[in-house]
Amino acid sequence: MHIPDGYLSPATCATFGGAMVPVWATAGRKVKRVVRSRYVPLVAIGAAYSFLVMMFNVPIPDGTTAHAVGAVLIACLLGPWAAVVAVSVALFIQALFFGDGGVLAYGANAFNMAFVMPFVGYGVYRLASRRLSLTSPRRALAAGMGAYVGLNAAALCAAIEFGVQPDLFRSANGTPLYAPFHLSQTVPTMLFAHLTVAGAVEAVLTFGVIAYLQRANVPILRINHRGVAETDAELTRAPLGWRWALIGIATMVVLTPLGLLAPGRAFGEDRARDLNAGKYGLRVVPAGLARYNGFWEHTVLRSYGFGAGSHPAVAYLLSAVVGIVAVSALVLGVYGLSRTLSRRNARELA
Amino acid sequence: MITTATPEWLLQPEVALCPCGCIGRRRKANFVDKTLQNAGGLLLRTMFAEDAATRDGLLQRCDARAKLAGGAVLLLAAALVHDVRVLVVLYLLTLAVAVASKLGAKFFVQRVWLFVPLFTGIVVLPATLNVITPGRIVVPLGTWFGYHLGVTSQGASSAAVIVVRVATSISLVVLLTLTTRFADLLTGLRALRVPRLFVLVFSMAYRYVFVLLATVDDMYTARKARAVLDTRNTKRGRQFVAASAGALFGRAHALSDEVHHAMLARGFRGEARSLRVARVSANDVVVVLVAVVVSIVALGGDRVLR
Repeated sequence: MHIPDGYLSPATCATFGGAMVPVWATAGRKVKRVVRSRYVPLVAIGAAYSFLVMMFNVPIPDGTTAHAVGAVLIACLLGPWAAVVAVSVALFIQALFFGDGGVLAYGANAFNMAFVMPFVGYGVYRLASRRLSLTSPRRALAAGMGAYVGLNAAALCAAIEFGVQPDLFRSANGTPLYAPFHLSQTVPTMLFAHLTVAGAVEAVLTFGVIAYLQRANVPILRINHRGVAETDAELTRAPLGWRWALIGIATMVVLTPLGLLAPGRAFGEDRARDLNAGKYGLRVVPAGLARYNGFWEHTVLRSYGFGAGSHPAVAYLLSAVVGIVAVSALVLGVYGLSRTLSRRNARELA
Repeated sequence: MITTATPEWLLQPEVALCPCGCIGRRRKANFVDKTLQNAGGLLLRTMFAEDAATRDGLLQRCDARAKLAGGAVLLLAAALVHDVRVLVVLYLLTLAVAVASKLGAKFFVQRVWLFVPLFTGIVVLPATLNVITPGRIVVPLGTWFGYHLGVTSQGASSAAVIVVRVATSISLVVLLTLTTRFADLLTGLRALRVPRLFVLVFSMAYRYVFVLLATVDDMYTARKARAVLDTRNTKRGRQFVAASAGALFGRAHALSDEVHHAMLARGFRGEARSLRVARVSANDVVVVLVAVVVSIVALGGDRVLR
């Protein structure tokens, strides 16, 4: 995934280099605040480690080997901001001394592998490892999952960076000036390679290292996991909060007006004649569809609109409100009923 | 064959470590051998670079700061040029400078073209077809499933430009790193206003890569010594890789603690300081000027030929 010089236009390189400057500044400040004068040796040796992790060959079943990036692993061990600095320095050494990844393209490479990858991967890891003890096997799985998602997010970014080049930079006669493949070609190619082999290798290595450290060196895991209970027995289980479910539902409610922007209609949703059967090589509307479509006509807000078809936007939003209220009432009703029944059961048993 | 001041016997490939299988029976290297090969290759390349940087060549006599600035200008010019002829001239110029810097034409060509430009050539090959880059078909490849396939002039020139540009960019970076000693490069980075803390972290990281590399080499050599048969048990192999990476992290962290204490004992307070003051000499100005003039001529030529 190391992009060499020559694939990306200087404008793209400058954009990503510019985008990374505040990230590096913030990362430097945050890490320095936490570890103070330990900053230099910790980050430097973290970078050396990051460089060497990229050199480890992981055996894969067909007898060949592949190597991992390790950015999510370092994010799990030292925190995402330290990972930004460590992986950036490792990429710099690779670009300057070993010709792996370009010097002009350094900003873009750092954006993909030192920023997007550790942050996305670490985010997934944190979400999946909430309420888990430090030595829980599921924590290692969460790290593997984070590595898989993080690597694929980085690959997607690289594919987008390549893919926009031929549309943005071409000469008068249509000759692409930089990477020649379009988004429709780069995204599937990059994601195929990373969703199958590279992502799996990254996940296996990250999972394996965390699982090894859980067995052999728990104090090392403490560096980035202060205050996490060590074993399941020490874990105090807080009741599962409603907060996250409510935030998810609230987000969907806020997004409902998007339906007003959606063009066209769903596949034969309202009337059978909306179904353009000829387009799909069909001569007739299927008999079942023709018979049962329009089976129930007695609705209040038909097709999420008023009967006369006036004020479609207001009617759509009103439909949304009515729907939310109705579903909420139904859910609360079922919940209340089940609470009542279970309480009655408990009383009878007592 | 690369020549270095390192004793010949140290560079002799062992039976098990020979990458091409020229000694003994040829077989696919397993993950242990490959990691050992990578580690050895890294050391070899670094030793060679330090050797090459001390030769009495054209670029070795120039100051690191001037080479860094000039290299950056030329990299940018190579990225902005869109005509393949201009890029070829730029590439040939880097080749000439490499020869003048006593790097050896054959070695330099091999080092640059293996493997990125070659890989790029294979990757951009499909982009020469009209399916991906539409345009005027110059080499028709017949009709496939009712679709006329052919190499377009736009596709071919785009592929040529990208391959030569990648090769030229890599040549410029290789020229810089092979003719500059690491310590000088650090001074150069500092002189170009790269933050001191970054230069300090970078220099320490580079130094400790080799300290940790020795640990990796020990672990894998020990593993190789213990394995009687090449069983190719991939699951056990993966467990070993994960365990060695985990153990390496433990050692790296302990090492960073020790280094930190050593730094504190020497009066380190979290800030990087340096005694050297960078001065600009006439030679440096000439090097940068040559790079700027070559870049301007290249961009001008590109505009005229376009």
